[in-house]
Amino acid sequence: MTGPWNADIREFVLAFADDEHLMGQQHTEWIGVAPFLEEDLAFSSIGQDELGHAATLYAIVAGEGDPNREGGIDDRRLDALAFDPDPSRWRSAHLVEATTDDWAHALVRHWLYDTAEQLRWELVAESTLEPLAGAAARAEREEWFHRRHADGLLDVLLPAPGAGDRLRAALTDLLPLAVGLFDPVAGEVQAVASGVTIAPFDSRMPEWADRVRARFDGDLSSIDLSPSDRATPTGRTTRSNAFGPLLSRMREVLDLDPAAIW
Amino acid sequence: MKRYEVFLKKDGRDEYRHAGSLDAPDDELALVLARESYLRRAEADRLWLVDREHLVVGNTDFVAPNADKPHRHNDGERIAERRKRLREAQKYTGEDAS
Repeated sequence: MTGPWNADIREFVLAFADDEHLMGQQHTEWIGVAPFLEEDLAFSSIGQDELGHAATLYAIVAGEGDPNREGGIDDRRLDALAFDPDPSRWRSAHLVEATTDDWAHALVRHWLYDTAEQLRWELVAESTLEPLAGAAARAEREEWFHRRHADGLLDVLLPAPGAGDRLRAALTDLLPLAVGLFDPVAGEVQAVASGVTIAPFDSRMPEWADRVRARFDGDLSSIDLSPSDRATPTGRTTRSNAFGPLLSRMREVLDLDPAAIW
Repeated sequence: MKRYEVFLKKDGRDEYRHAGSLDAPDDELALVLARESYLRRAEADRLWLVDREHLVVGNTDFVAPNADKPHRHNDGERIAERRKRLREAQKYTGEDAS
């Protein structure tokens, strides 16, 4: 027995997996087109780490709480989750679905997401669902580096004349989407009750907002950063307009020949 | 952007070896980017980065004059020749020719 498992907890883990997967996918799309070679390698490598987290979480979902069931989960069962053609079965946040055409947006999203991700893993570090606690420990060994990467770039770019303005404009665009990361899935209440997570994710939103303010040192008063009175949460059941094209890009090879066996 | 030279070393007896170079805006990002450019597959346990500006460089005119002094190359060739000659002399005479 590896911990509690039911349909609610499945929703809870799936939402985390979908976020990690799409964030990883978006980062890796910068390979070959990031501002310079070294950054190109670093950013797509960080994306690969996120894809690794997603694979770990999808394996927990596919194994119904036990990723080592039957000697490990068949990759095809992970693919069925990761490339699910039905948008209604996804639980991703709109932040990770959004198309970012320029580097400033990609970098700001990287920072916003990873800052929230740290808080998210902390909530499940002592999870009663043992494989999830294990995934949290593993993820943090990589995440400190992701944050150092994002902070290192922002340290250099925010004070620079043109770059700083572009980054702050990107922040203004992305913040309304970023707060949606904290929207709970329907199963979160159950996940808290069974100790899979120690608290609702949006209880960490004030801490995240403090870090955003400290990092960007700007006037964020126009953005609603309070957990209680922001716009009605979607419950992560609706997909944004950007999701369709993103899923098509991800499924491009699969869709070439739907009958092929991988 | 600054250019850094990258040196890697595995734990154990091997020395630091030059692995390549990279561009980065400052030392902190140079470390971060070196890790992703040169160490993604656990190529080493230790890392040195040297800002190329800090290298003391000897140009080729300075280095080349020592390229024409074969007498400084002790490759053992003349000793080997002498030993071979003595060995063959011994073979034909059956005597100790040393």
